[in-house]
Amino acid sequence: MSRVRLIETTLLILFGLLLAGATVNDVARQTHVNQRLIEDLRTWRAYTGRDYHNLSIEQTLFGERSQREVVCGNTSPGPPKTRVQICLAIWGPVVGGRRVVHGGWYLPPDTEEDLRRHRYGCFGPASAGICPTAAEAAVERGSAHSGAGA
Amino acid sequence: MTPQALAAGTPAPSASASGAALANSRPARWRAPLAFICGFVLLAATVEIVLDAAQRHSPLIPRSPQISGWLASFGGERLGYRVFLIAILAASVAYGVLLALVHTRARAAVPVTEGEGEGSATEGAGAPVEVRDDTLRERTVSRWAIGLVALLNLIVFVGPILISTDVFSYLAYARMGVVHGIDPYTHGPVAIVGDPVFYYVGHDWLRVATAYGPVYTLISYPLGALGLIGGLWGMKLYALLASAATLALTWRVARRRGRDRVFALLAVGANPLYVIYGLGGAHNDLIMLALMMAAVAFTLSDRDAAAGAAVVVGALVKATVAVLLPFMILARRRSAALYGALVALGLCALAGYLAFGIHGIDVVSALNRDSAFVSTDSFPNELAHLFGKPGVFPVDHDLLKAALVLIVLHLLWRTYRGYDWVAASGWALLAISVTSTWLLAWYILWPLPLAVITRDRRLLAATLFVQGLFIVHQTSPLFAPVS
Repeated sequence: MSRVRLIETTLLILFGLLLAGATVNDVARQTHVNQRLIEDLRTWRAYTGRDYHNLSIEQTLFGERSQREVVCGNTSPGPPKTRVQICLAIWGPVVGGRRVVHGGWYLPPDTEEDLRRHRYGCFGPASAGICPTAAEAAVERGSAHSGAGA
Repeated sequence: MTPQALAAGTPAPSASASGAALANSRPARWRAPLAFICGFVLLAATVEIVLDAAQRHSPLIPRSPQISGWLASFGGERLGYRVFLIAILAASVAYGVLLALVHTRARAAVPVTEGEGEGSATEGAGAPVEVRDDTLRERTVSRWAIGLVALLNLIVFVGPILISTDVFSYLAYARMGVVHGIDPYTHGPVAIVGDPVFYYVGHDWLRVATAYGPVYTLISYPLGALGLIGGLWGMKLYALLASAATLALTWRVARRRGRDRVFALLAVGANPLYVIYGLGGAHNDLIMLALMMAAVAFTLSDRDAAAGAAVVVGALVKATVAVLLPFMILARRRSAALYGALVALGLCALAGYLAFGIHGIDVVSALNRDSAFVSTDSFPNELAHLFGKPGVFPVDHDLLKAALVLIVLHLLWRTYRGYDWVAASGWALLAISVTSTWLLAWYILWPLPLAVITRDRRLLAATLFVQGLFIVHQTSPLFAPVS
């Protein structure tokens, strides 16, 4: 084996080990994230008393690495997002198979995206600052009414 | 379709080779059934995925018009992550074992070209019978391999679109040009909101103009006029034909370069990523691969101008394959490849300009745009997580580009010093996919056909290793299924 080939092979093996380590690390990391999301879904179902499975999870609202999630789901039976949805802000350690709900809000029927302007009926400390103010809500209602009448 | 011939290997007509063949006949009893089982597992896993995918409403299957509803009557259930991952893992293990079996069969045999075989047959009294047996065995193995690969390709062809929404983007761009008179190089599919294909285009690509070359856009235009279902079948047919061409050329080139053609065929055509992700998604990467292999085949018959032209046409389908050209020119030390490339570039650029204006030939800006994307499966993203970063930062893109340039320069230097240009091109394609922040399963297929026809086995090992890591990275839903 020539010297160049030996160096190349050594570098390839080292880089391969690095990639393998990164892959295994990422699988473990994603598995931990999935475990947390499973607890989030369980928390939503326990809190609302609904055993729905078509729930959506938002992981970035409170920051990419915050480990704080928002879980949204219908408040009555129906296709996903076609009924009034309740969204719960969930974070903290798992206790008794659940995490702590720190607040939440509602979304009107047929709302595809959980945007600030759509939120209403906000409750708990988690909703502070991320729900529309009374004035903003009035403007949103006004625009919705004028839109409906147009 | 029994692979008994795999059991005996291909003994050469010499005393030492006969001894090797005899020594090799001991594992013959388990090798044939094992090869059969591997083939069966590959077929079963593919059938399972296709039938379950035909049931629709799967998170793994894109929204699609009903093109294979008749398959739903064969049974199956909604394709979930668990079944899909188990099927892919089973197929991958079967693929690996099958390759090992075929490889040991090839190692047991002394390489005999057709001419040598005929000549040596006259050397001894028993030789002609042995050679006839060997030819028969080899023919049986070849037929079995071809049959297996053909079945895998056909099963996926008749099924629904798997995994990716890309084919709907291809069709949307075609319909934009043909039906709506809108330039796909300046507008995204959002410009044809009322078109039936719009509903199926991936959300991320609605506002993105096409990144594919003018040759691909032009050959996709006839399909745009066929309507949604007709166009979709047309895209699937393109992918199937491109796959058949890639495999036929791999077979032919492997033989011309003295490699084991059965191994080469199975390594590419039975590869689960190639079959399920590449062909299953009807990706235009297969057309690029067919042109890439055509270029290699042309160089073997000293048609360098045609080889250079084939690389350019391939690059005007999907730009990545352009990386072959400098290695080819440097290794061949002939200007014909360069001239062929320039003529093809001129003609295709003219056609692209006449059809789409300046945007149709501005491939570089499309590449720059796409290189800024980040996918969760990309290795840079995984490395960022390993080092505690949330993801890839803009500076990382520059570092990765610099690393890629260094690798390509090293490979060019090695090629100049006599290293196989085909292997160098394969390494470059592998380096592009590994350093890309936007990595999709079908990108790590690019180096595979080159890897199986080179003598440097490190390339094949590295390519399969990277593919293995990609599959392992998909498996987290197996450990913690979120539902």
